[in-house]
This record gives sequence, structure tokens and C-alpha cells, in this order.
Amino acid sequence: MSRMRGTLARRYRRLLLCYPRQYRRAHGEEIVTTFLDLAPSDRTRPTVREAANLVRHGLRCRLGRPNSRSVVLWAALTAIVWGLFTGAFATRLAWETARPLPTNAEATQLFSGMLGQDVTGKVGVDPALFVIYGQPLGMRNLHLLFSPDAGEYQQGLAGVSLNGPSNVDHHDLLNSTRAWLRVHGWRVSDVVIRNSVECTSCDESTLPKQALFAARRGDDVLNLEISLGNLQPPPPKPGLTTYDQTYASIDLTRANPSTVYPFGAAGVLLGTAFGWFTFGWASRRTDGRAPLLRAVTKVLFGVAIFLWCAPIALAFPATLTHHLNEPHPSWHPMWEWLGQPALAALFVAGTGAALLALAASALPRRSEPATDMRSTT
Amino acid sequence: MREPTFLILAALADQPRHGYGIIQEVAALSANRVTMLPGTLYTALDRLAAQGLVVRDREEIADGRLRRYYRLTSGGLAVLDVETARLRSLATAAERKLRTARPRPA
Repeated sequence: MSRMRGTLARRYRRLLLCYPRQYRRAHGEEIVTTFLDLAPSDRTRPTVREAANLVRHGLRCRLGRPNSRSVVLWAALTAIVWGLFTGAFATRLAWETARPLPTNAEATQLFSGMLGQDVTGKVGVDPALFVIYGQPLGMRNLHLLFSPDAGEYQQGLAGVSLNGPSNVDHHDLLNSTRAWLRVHGWRVSDVVIRNSVECTSCDESTLPKQALFAARRGDDVLNLEISLGNLQPPPPKPGLTTYDQTYASIDLTRANPSTVYPFGAAGVLLGTAFGWFTFGWASRRTDGRAPLLRAVTKVLFGVAIFLWCAPIALAFPATLTHHLNEPHPSWHPMWEWLGQPALAALFVAGTGAALLALAASALPRRSEPATDMRSTT
Repeated sequence: MREPTFLILAALADQPRHGYGIIQEVAALSANRVTMLPGTLYTALDRLAAQGLVVRDREEIADGRLRRYYRLTSGGLAVLDVETARLRSLATAAERKLRTARPRPA
């Protein structure tokens, strides 16, 4: 029996680590004693309610606001948001270690081999690993990141498109390309068939189809789309002899470099700690201050949290759906899951509101109270 | 004043009590409606001590366990007195209203 009580006491003491050391020294033993007094004789571990009670009050105490009911929730939210954004920024830094895209000649040789035809002159290669409207990001086009066009900031690629009438059966092209990739050491995904055009009122069986699949070898990632439609489609307008209907396209991008993971993890940890401690500091600074100052900081902070969370709430489900519906040998960059930089303007505005809230919190107090006479919040 | 705070002050009104004793007394006073956990209790005791309403009385070691007793200060008694009067007044007013709403059958 005493061994069971000892085990239970040890588990309560472990939960007490949520409290600051000074508080544990002052109250730790009497809290554990009271828990043991309350526990039935056959209990060996704290209940969920007891654990939540200790964690909640311990974290409030660590934040320096033991009597605030909401401080832990808001501090945790700030910590999570800052962890995610700092992690995303760190992964972007890690991308600087990625290998550059292949040269035009290298890409032409690769695509010609896998398609079984010479594609010289049809290959385009972006000038950087990330581009906005085909150009690397620089001072000249930085303003685009804060405009409605910010979503154009995307991974650079080497690509080729085959247009017009084809002499090769598209199913044969699909099979031969997949076979070539396998022979040359690529890991090839399953094929996803989808309609080439969106039409909700059409007969599904009559719609033209296209095959999508992906392949990966080392840090090379391929996304391929091959039309399964008519080999000799009629021109879009009578009298036209040339038209640009694409029947095959291939994009080559770089996979996430391995440095993304340690950089991302370090960024998440640093950002989480920064968000947690900064919120705690601001919360302590505003505690017991003039009602107007508290109201202003609360409103500014509420605006900041909304503007930070809105891009995540919008982008995360959309990116997840996209990720699940198409083969992806490599994850999309972390910032795209957070709606960045497509909605960077919201993030910047939120950060501005948070900085104003911090500045208001930093205003000097008129006089420090001699004792803690806070009322219950 | 929140109900748990009032109940803690009420639990300490007649005699000093340790944490477990306060929790039991609070449960008894509220007919088991309020079941306080130690994390909540000691945060409240810290706040009440900072406000000068509660103070440590003595410490005992019983069965190898630390028992720290708390008691009300004179300020705590006064606050409890005022709060009790306020609640009684509210309850009396509410009873009066209820009697008007539900007159006794003749």
C-alpha cells in the first residue's frame, strides 16, 4: 500500500514541475499531501482532472498571472502561432542549401530521354529555386510579397510542354515514360486520372481525361501530366492550322533539402519560446494597470491573433486537400501551409498590431504597488 | 467575490484548517456542489494571503505528511461578514419577490 502511495506521490510531484521552482519549494509538499489525502487508497496515478488542474495553475504561475483564467490559453495560442511562423521562416533559410535547378541543356537531355523525342527549344528553366512571376525575389519586386499577387511566389522549376497533334498514342506515351523512369532509378507514384475540364452538368464518360503522376530520384521531383484525349484534336476554330493544346507537360523541381527538418524544428522551438515568454511579459506588464491601457492592449492583441490565424485557417485545409488529391513525392514548403506569402499582408498587419500592444505594455507604470492586491480575474 | 472564495473564507471562519480540511469543509458547506482541487485551493489561498484575509497558523507533521494550517485574519472575518450580509440581503429580496410571484394558497 505504501509503495502505491509513493508511486502516486511521485507522479503528483512530476506534475508539479509545471510550477516555478520557488513555488514548489513553498507549497509543493502541502499540495502533494492534500492530493494524497483526497485520493482513494487504490489510486496509483492522478486523474485527468487533477493533472489538468496542476498543469493549468502551474503554467499560470510560471506566466506570473496565477489568478488569470485565460492567460494560459492566450499564451499557448501565441506560442503556437509564433512557433509555426518562425519554423516556416527557418525552413526557407534551409532551402538556401538546396542544389540549384538543372541547366537548360541538362533538363533538355533528361526530358528528351524520358519522352522518347527531342525537346530541344521547348524547355524552360527558372532562374532561381523560388521565383515570383518568373523572377528571383529581390529589392526590385519585394513589394509584390505584400500585394494580392504574393501567391505567385512559388518554387522555380524546369519544365517542358508538348503541344498540338501527336503521332504517339498518349497511353503508350504514358506507359513508356513511366517505364523509362523506373529503369533509370526513379521512384514513380501511382497514376491519378482526372477530367481535363471542369463540367458539373456533362456526362462524365464523355469528358477528356488526363493522367497525373509524380516521380522522385534523390532531390529531383517530377510532376507529369499526360492527356488521354484525342491524338488529332480538331483545331479550336475552323481555318486555324496551328493550335497550342498541350498533351504532355513535365515539371522538375527540387525536393525539400534534408536541412529543412532540423532548421524547421529549431525554428518552431525558438518561436514557441519567444511567443510564450513575450506574451507572459506583456501580460504581467498590463496586469493591474489602467482599464483603458488594458482594453487597448487586449483589442490590439485580439486583432493580431486574428490576423495571424486567419491565413492558417484558410490555407491549411486547402493545402491538405490538394496534397491528398495528387501524388506528392515531396511536401509543399511549410510556409505555404500557413498561407504565406499569399496572405503575407495579413501577417504583417497582425505583427504591427502585436508590436503596438507590446509598446503599450512597455509604458512605465506611474507607481509600483507595494503589495499584490489583485482581485480575482 | 466568487463563490469558491466565499466558501474558503466560510470554511476558515470557525477554526484553522489545513488544505484537505478546507476542501472537505467547502464540499460540506456547498452540499458537495463545489469540489475544489488543491491547485485551485492553493492559488486562492495565496491570493487571499496577499490581500491580508488569510494567514498561516501553524505546521504539523502527521504520519510523515506536512499539515499547514490557515486561519482568517480580522480583515478576513470582516470581509466574510460583509459578504454574508450582502448575500443574505440578496436572498431576502429574492424571497420577497418569490412570495409575490407564488402567493400562498388561502
